[in-house]
Amino acid sequence: MADNETLPDAPEYDNEAAGDVDYDDDEPLDLTRENNAKIIMLGSATDDDSCASFQFENEDHTLGNALRWIIMKNPKVEFCGYSIPHPSEPKMNMRIQTYGDITAKDALIQGLADLRDLCDVVTDTFVAEKERFVTEKKQAVA
Amino acid sequence: MDGFDMMDSGTDGPIVTIRKADSMHADFVLSNVDLSFANSIRRIILAEVPTLAIDLVEVIANSSVLPDELLSHRLGLIPLESSNIDDKLLYTRDCDCDGYCDRCSVVLTLVAKCTGDQNVTVYARDLAVAAGAQLGNPVLTDEAGKGSIICKLRKGQELNLKCIAKKGIAKEHAKWQPCAAVAFEYDPHNKLKHVDYWYETDAKAEWPKSANAGWEEPAQENEPFDYNAVPNKFYIDVETVGSLQPDEVLRQGIKYLQEKLATVIAGVNKSAGQGAATNTGGDVNGMDDGYGGARSPDMNDANGYRNFNDGYVTPYGGAGGGAGAQTPFGGYGGGGYSNGWP
Repeated sequence: MADNETLPDAPEYDNEAAGDVDYDDDEPLDLTRENNAKIIMLGSATDDDSCASFQFENEDHTLGNALRWIIMKNPKVEFCGYSIPHPSEPKMNMRIQTYGDITAKDALIQGLADLRDLCDVVTDTFVAEKERFVTEKKQAVA
Repeated sequence: MDGFDMMDSGTDGPIVTIRKADSMHADFVLSNVDLSFANSIRRIILAEVPTLAIDLVEVIANSSVLPDELLSHRLGLIPLESSNIDDKLLYTRDCDCDGYCDRCSVVLTLVAKCTGDQNVTVYARDLAVAAGAQLGNPVLTDEAGKGSIICKLRKGQELNLKCIAKKGIAKEHAKWQPCAAVAFEYDPHNKLKHVDYWYETDAKAEWPKSANAGWEEPAQENEPFDYNAVPNKFYIDVETVGSLQPDEVLRQGIKYLQEKLATVIAGVNKSAGQGAATNTGGDVNGMDDGYGGARSPDMNDANGYRNFNDGYVTPYGGAGGGAGAQTPFGGYGGGGYSNGWP
């Protein structure tokens, strides 16, 4: 990761402009309000994108904790944590910091794919075990 | 996966052992997965597996002692047969119709009148499913096959109701729960000290042993605390209400967890496709190929993925899963972002 001195400051929030529809390029935007994005990147990324924060809409601990765990399993990832900033807002924030070999976004995509694969494995394992259980039961009856 | 060890144990990955199972229960041990993943499964089974439940009631006649609202509430809570609901029914919000139709609802009628001197008891079995419906029969698990009691009628009282059952999830209303309970336990001997038992003199003597205690070795006398130990075995007992078989509940639960992931993956890729202020666009597109052929549910749909939350009218989901997302990732200073604004 780059030196701390190179971290850009978070953009300053301009209260006056917040209510204005005519946004400037430099102004922070409420990205979720306009376009129903499922996931947005928060404005706290490093220049090389090795560290970034994401905000998920309509997600909670169900996805957050498992995803956090699987992203932390990636040896290229230095840190991953998540939080739900307020219980009455259906939002989940996730911070990912990598050692710099991959971008935070790549780590996220990798984590999502890994978790999906893990789900497939668990489903297959469960179905196989269920079949074994059912045949065993049938044999016991016969 | 990327070649790193997914399981802390270093063994071959998740293991499932079914201990007991019947049409209402599935008691199994899930091992070699992380606590967070096991908990995700528990949470999704509890709240996000869709079932069928009565959602609208048209009261044509109700002269019983129960007010219409109370009756409607009771009807909503009756479990209805809902297996393979995803192949048979749409969410009303995804349907083209106004109100409801055969593709997004099942109509049940309840007509009962007490004419004799004896009071009449109206049971769930008295709900008549419209002809041609593929699902929606009331679940009758008692020996007499009557189902739950809806109402009692005195001489002269009558009920004439048209009930419209819809597909939904328990996050929106508990009547859509597929499970009455999901038992979830790990570390029955409390070796990890995740529980701090209250006691008068001796916790071991005062607290009953867990039913799962026989499945793990208790801690030895003076065994040093293992700071690196993590929970590894999860004792899960899925108890359904009868609308779905327990194994279907579990398979559907995992499917919906994958659907969540698919929605986020689609959201990430969509955002990247807008030429946003990230330098990873190329990588993302490259990775897209690697995951396009995934086995995840609904990834092979015409739409690429099913928009799980789109048009959700409850507080849980007005914002759809990335539908029509114009947003670039990291719009801050991105330049192109303001173009999308009115």
